[in-house]
Amino acid sequence: MSEFEKYQQICREAGWTGAALLVLIVFWIFAGFGLAGVEGDLLGLPLWAVTSSLGVWFFAIVLVKLLTRFVFRDMELTEGKGAGRDE
Amino acid sequence: MNNGNPAALLPLLVFMAVMVGIGFYVRRVQARGFAHNFVQQYFIGSHDLGGFVLAMTTVATYSSVSSFVGGPGMAWQIGFGWIYMAVVQVTAIFLVLGIFGKRVALLSRKFDAVTVVDIIRERFQSDGLASLAAFIIVLFFCATMTAQFVGGAKLFATVTGYSYEMGLLLFGLVVVIYTSIGGFRAVALTDTCCAVMMMIGIVLLLYYVLQAGGGYSNILANIHANHPEMLEPLSAGHMPVGLYLTQWILVGICTIALPQSVVRGISYKDTKSLHQAMLIGTVVVGFMNIGINFTGILAHGVLTDSLQSYGGVDYIIPKTIVTAMPPALVGLAIIGPLAASISTISGLLIVASSAIIKDVYLHHQAKRGIQPSAGKLRLLSMAATAVIGVVVFCIALTPPSLIWIINMFAFGGLETAFFWTLLLGLFWRRANKLGAILSMGGGTLAYCLTQGMGFKVLGLHQITIGITVSLLFFLLGAYIGKPQDEKVLATFFPNKGKL
Repeated sequence: MSEFEKYQQICREAGWTGAALLVLIVFWIFAGFGLAGVEGDLLGLPLWAVTSSLGVWFFAIVLVKLLTRFVFRDMELTEGKGAGRDE
Repeated sequence: MNNGNPAALLPLLVFMAVMVGIGFYVRRVQARGFAHNFVQQYFIGSHDLGGFVLAMTTVATYSSVSSFVGGPGMAWQIGFGWIYMAVVQVTAIFLVLGIFGKRVALLSRKFDAVTVVDIIRERFQSDGLASLAAFIIVLFFCATMTAQFVGGAKLFATVTGYSYEMGLLLFGLVVVIYTSIGGFRAVALTDTCCAVMMMIGIVLLLYYVLQAGGGYSNILANIHANHPEMLEPLSAGHMPVGLYLTQWILVGICTIALPQSVVRGISYKDTKSLHQAMLIGTVVVGFMNIGINFTGILAHGVLTDSLQSYGGVDYIIPKTIVTAMPPALVGLAIIGPLAASISTISGLLIVASSAIIKDVYLHHQAKRGIQPSAGKLRLLSMAATAVIGVVVFCIALTPPSLIWIINMFAFGGLETAFFWTLLLGLFWRRANKLGAILSMGGGTLAYCLTQGMGFKVLGLHQITIGITVSLLFFLLGAYIGKPQDEKVLATFFPNKGKL
């Protein structure tokens, strides 16, 4: 990867990480406030209490797994040193 | 002092001895490396952290003693709404590593940067801004460290029956010693041990709380019958929607700009480690936050009186430990919260010390054309770390009220100061020196003033004011000031055609 390509890739990764945050916020609202009125019992607790804690946690883990699998790319961190020699 | 529980002391002593041992071990192993590039080795560990250690040190520095004591105490009072709020912290690790991790890693290698301030200085070409950043870091970090010392020592005194001063002496000096001796690498390794001990502590406490409370279904039946509001997200008005919103900003999104987290982007080995750390960190931070707060709620099976009778939310977890755990295991149980305290202190201490040595001292020497000898640098760096540590330690012996005020400002103040400066500085070409100075100075001032006066907009926490003012100032500066030099921009934002 050239320096420019690395920069582009990093911006893409940062953008997708931000998008994952938005998705997580939407899920968080749904899993807590959204399900708060729903009748149901899970592990002896109201449904929302489980989805908004364990549910959000598992959802975040899946999101990060997707990010690192499909968006994030390996790149060399040290070779940039040679490219910084412009005077 | 006389009614102390000696069984509680032994595991703690062993743990602290291991921590100091790690400090000395790291120093021996790195003895050869120290001669080559001491500053980089000491303050950032020479870019060699793997994924697991990177994840653990980021989580451990981020999770403070209040996440282990005050937080679950609130969960005891409020119920599942508190967990719902605390779970937003699962974002903290993957956001900071995903957004800043690689950007900071590449830039730091380009400029031989060791601190976040180094990168800010290069980006905005301003010594004034760099000094302001270093000042904010040292001031707020010292206040936060004092609060961690006090929190840990109070917990120690309540649980073991020994004195506050003895607790402070026991774990306070230990953290200062191993951080001064071993530097960042020792911080990272001890943080990893601390994070593991925190998780073991949570599991142990949860187990004994369930036992002492007569089992899971028994405790829940009690909550259903006597505290039904604990099973609602708004907890009968104890958890207003506005609080959820500001917690997203304060302990979720804006934590990506905390310098002690961002600096970890400089420290890892390769991108594979970074990707691993994002996943491991998210798993661990979720486990800790849900685990400890859930334990706080279940402590209703152990502590059945009113909150007042226990002396406030800060005493819920210490009282739970003493009541539910067998005396022989009490020492093991408090290692968790104390580990949370020392791992935060060590992480802040090394960054505060780097701000003084690298960002202030070395920079000024370099400007005058002086290159201090390796031996002198080694001595100065360790001395700076030790002196800051000892000063904070002494303040914690009799904390003045001013320190609590600064500590109250610290978390949000750091976020206000660094959020836009780092985010826009690293991802927006138009970001310039004037904008960064206005944003960091004006935003932090607005935040501290409004918080000091108790002024709120729509009843929301002042972080909303700080972060908004800081953004407006940044944009104002970016449009009225002149853009950064094209040469500087070219190194930060490579062009397609350029090699």
